[in-house]
Amino acid sequence: MLHFNNSTPLTLGVELELMILNRRDYNLTRGSDDLLLLIDRQPHGYDIKPEITQGMIEIGTAIHQGSDTMLQELQQIRALLVSSAQKLNLGLAGGGSHPFQHWSDQQIYPKERYQLVSELYGYLAKQFTVYGQHIHIGCPDGDAAIRLSHYLARYIPHFIALSASSPFYQGMDTLFQTSRLTSVNAFPLSGCMPCVEDWAQFNDYFQHMAELGIVASMKDFYWDIRPKPEYGTVEIRICDTPLDIVTPTLLAAYAQMLAHRCLAEEWHDIQAAHYHTYNYNRFQACRFGFDGVLVDGAARQQISLQEDLLSTLNALQPQARALNCESELGQLRERTLKRQSDSQWLRAIYRASGSLSEVVRRQSEHWMYGSSA
Amino acid sequence: MSLLPWHSLSLNPLAAFGILLTLGVIGGQIANRAGRLPAITGYVLTGLIIGPASLHLLNQELLSAADLFVNLALGLALFESGRRVDLHWLRVERTLLLTTLCYCLAVFAALCALLLQGGLGWQASSMMAALGMATSPIVILEMLRETRAEGQVSERLTTATALSSLLSVIVFAIALGSAHLQNQHSTEDGILSPAWLILGSSLLGLLAGLLAIALNRWLGSQRRQQQTVLLFGLIALLVGLSVMLNTLPSLALLVFGLATRNLRGGHTVSEPGLLSGSHFFFVAFFVAAGAQLAPQTLATYWPLALAYLLLRSAIPMLFWWLLAPQNCLSRRRGLWLGLALNPLSGGSAMLMGMSTLALGTDATAFTGTMMAVFVISELAGPLLTRLALRQVGDIPSED
Repeated sequence: MLHFNNSTPLTLGVELELMILNRRDYNLTRGSDDLLLLIDRQPHGYDIKPEITQGMIEIGTAIHQGSDTMLQELQQIRALLVSSAQKLNLGLAGGGSHPFQHWSDQQIYPKERYQLVSELYGYLAKQFTVYGQHIHIGCPDGDAAIRLSHYLARYIPHFIALSASSPFYQGMDTLFQTSRLTSVNAFPLSGCMPCVEDWAQFNDYFQHMAELGIVASMKDFYWDIRPKPEYGTVEIRICDTPLDIVTPTLLAAYAQMLAHRCLAEEWHDIQAAHYHTYNYNRFQACRFGFDGVLVDGAARQQISLQEDLLSTLNALQPQARALNCESELGQLRERTLKRQSDSQWLRAIYRASGSLSEVVRRQSEHWMYGSSA
Repeated sequence: MSLLPWHSLSLNPLAAFGILLTLGVIGGQIANRAGRLPAITGYVLTGLIIGPASLHLLNQELLSAADLFVNLALGLALFESGRRVDLHWLRVERTLLLTTLCYCLAVFAALCALLLQGGLGWQASSMMAALGMATSPIVILEMLRETRAEGQVSERLTTATALSSLLSVIVFAIALGSAHLQNQHSTEDGILSPAWLILGSSLLGLLAGLLAIALNRWLGSQRRQQQTVLLFGLIALLVGLSVMLNTLPSLALLVFGLATRNLRGGHTVSEPGLLSGSHFFFVAFFVAAGAQLAPQTLATYWPLALAYLLLRSAIPMLFWWLLAPQNCLSRRRGLWLGLALNPLSGGSAMLMGMSTLALGTDATAFTGTMMAVFVISELAGPLLTRLALRQVGDIPSED
């Protein structure tokens, strides 16, 4: 039986998975242990930990009421990481996938859970060397978490378009705005949560899966959005790690505004029919970003992703006022109007330099010493 | 009857190169599979077996003919080694620079004292001590490639290797000038010679770097293959020019690599990395190096050679152990890093030729001792480096 630890509604936290690079050719390097060792020599209270392969690291923020304090914390974490990485001659970067690493070169981090994942999933575990942003939103109870998970599913293409930063994979331009999600799709328990209506139904589903020996904990679900009962949150896991540290806070603010509307309006329109178009819309966002076309199954119509996102942002004005994040809403509107994405920026560097190594070098400079320093 | 080939069968340089490669790979694999030795040790042993000292399948003449490939291999390794020096990192991490400087100078002083004690003259001692400062870039790079090692020890190992090679050739040039003066050569020889060797080589390397960056930019980003061929061409040209102008090819190539890594616009000059395409030159290099060895020198010079090698192993180990915490390493990893620096530079053989001319009566003892040093070092060095990298965890575990 899963117990949902109720938390303060609408509180926020983010986790960012980052690349660890050598500064010679900017390929991934097995640097997580050395970096963590050096960081842990200094007293700090930040959540910085290893990830599934040794060319990755994950940072997590504390619980925040708003995205402004979250940005301050992220800047402090970055300063700590950068000073240590400089001493070790390592590069750090955002981005959803490394453009030219070979999955077979990656080494699984020596931690029991990761070794188990590697044993079960074989090469998929190494191919999971992709980098995402997770957003946690506090929920008053399990039922609210289930409702919010279903509610946010409608807006998943928006998050994909806003965070897309993995156009290159295994040395090639994939033509996708985000290629990272293809790696996640390979896992049998990926996709979306089943159409349960409340926490009790969710628990029944979980118990059933556990009895069948398919899952042992919530970590075994690689869903795009999932309840996180131990934190008392809903976790959005669809975003690529953005190239800077401002964008993650804007994405968190967007999730917070949507959650505010869902909880305030006591939304409860949970229907399996809503999921008929889910995978298609998700694909459109991955492939075309802001230029994707979304299908509204209920209204039997198509709408451009950019238009849909803009109208949603316009409708969120009251929530932005209530949450004191009008500035974040403005920045999101501006980016959407300009179709400004990290993938576009990466492709522009590649066009100018013809070098994926140069692309990662600029990516790393941007994350480590970007303008918000 | 006399027209039939087997009556006058002798190897030509191309066949010699083929033998170096074919037998080298077979020897490397046998060493690897049967003795779990590094492939490099197998290449060197193969050379030793087929070379003038044993089976005489390759004679000195054929080895000289294969010099072209050997020098190119050395050039590629030195260039790549220079590219491993990140001046930006050295500015942030000054302790790394300081540690390397300290252990190199300590090695120089200790070896000088040992060799003087062993009966060699001041000039021969200082030149041999200068050669002892350097770790072999080609062995280190090949070992990192073979074992897929990476990590903080490997990173510091490659930087220290390149810096020690730089220091070694500079001190060697000064020692050579001093030897010219001591042996009643003209004052111009004594002063101008090291100046020309150091400044001329550096200038050549710098010019090659600037040229590589400019040509790379001119070719454009869509011409990666042409850029790689161009770089091979420039490395070969620089080796050749350096020899023609009586400068130090090793210094010129190190500066070339350093310049392309650190000058603006040089970042993509060596993309994709040259090492994967250079492997067959490296195999030829190690087999040829093995064939050049003269194990008979051990009979006379082994005590001095052994003491020389022990000192040049112990001092880096001591310094890296002492300064490990300042270098963001545990003391244990520092100690192993010191041992990993063991392989003696392959470029030293080239410098030995220059030294014998300046040494006069000391030349025989100098050559004999150095050769004995090489016999032990070329066989033991790669083993020790692999052991050290394994101990520090830089070699990935098998999945």
